[in-house]
Amino acid sequence: MNKLLVEPAAVATGDIAFNLIVFFLVCASTQPDRGRKQDIPSSQQTKAEQKQENTEILITKTGIVLNGAAVRATELPGRLAIHFKGKPRPEDRVVVIKTRPDTPYSNWISVTSMVQDAGGSITIQREEEKTVTVGN
Amino acid sequence: MGDIAFNLLIFFVILARANDDSHLKWNPAEAQNLEGSKGAKVTVVIDIDGKIYLNSQQKSETELADAIGDELGDATAGNRVVYLKIDKNVTAPRFEPVIEAISQAGGELIHILNEDHAEPPPQPAKTAAAAPPASP
Repeated sequence: MNKLLVEPAAVATGDIAFNLIVFFLVCASTQPDRGRKQDIPSSQQTKAEQKQENTEILITKTGIVLNGAAVRATELPGRLAIHFKGKPRPEDRVVVIKTRPDTPYSNWISVTSMVQDAGGSITIQREEEKTVTVGN
Repeated sequence: MGDIAFNLLIFFVILARANDDSHLKWNPAEAQNLEGSKGAKVTVVIDIDGKIYLNSQQKSETELADAIGDELGDATAGNRVVYLKIDKNVTAPRFEPVIEAISQAGGELIHILNEDHAEPPPQPAKTAAAAPPASP
């Protein structure tokens, strides 16, 4: 029987390993690299701007409150468009974003994206820490 | 030859791993109208446990602004991009100080997100008259 023994040359093992590693590295890099740019004014600027009458949005875990009135997420762009009508200056389009301690990031980014898309600029107002002294 | 290439590759993979955050666990939130980005000098991650990482090194909230400032150095505008990767379920008291710290350090913030393929909410311009009046 004339059967040929065919097997890869031993010197090729390294090359095969190299190509396999490159293949798996390319497959593994599936992290997202797309995103949204956001300009958040510095703290000092924010304080100065807060003296003006600004639009306020409270983002909670379950909903959105625009200037004290609850709105649905689908209605928010419309409401913002009404607010920003006749306000071409960016400083008039400042929206103060407030949150509750249980507000998740997913809600926050979704609302702030809507504000940006409507032409508003975002300012974060964090809840002030209050020291409560409990008497004996 | 292949063996040398193999060893070199392993060396560079291990070296790159020090600055890589792919081992950190975070679930990106979703948003629409995302833009591609060229890359960032600084990446801040808040993982599913709420831990903060700056270029894959764990940091506390208080040291973050200075650390980001050090990383950005004297980089000019356009080269001060900071990628922010926040797990979608992280709550406001955890992510707001981080956003503030990036702003304080003069970083150009880009939220890294997944594209939301849902239909965008209807644009309200034509239906503004029908919409309920905005509260003051």
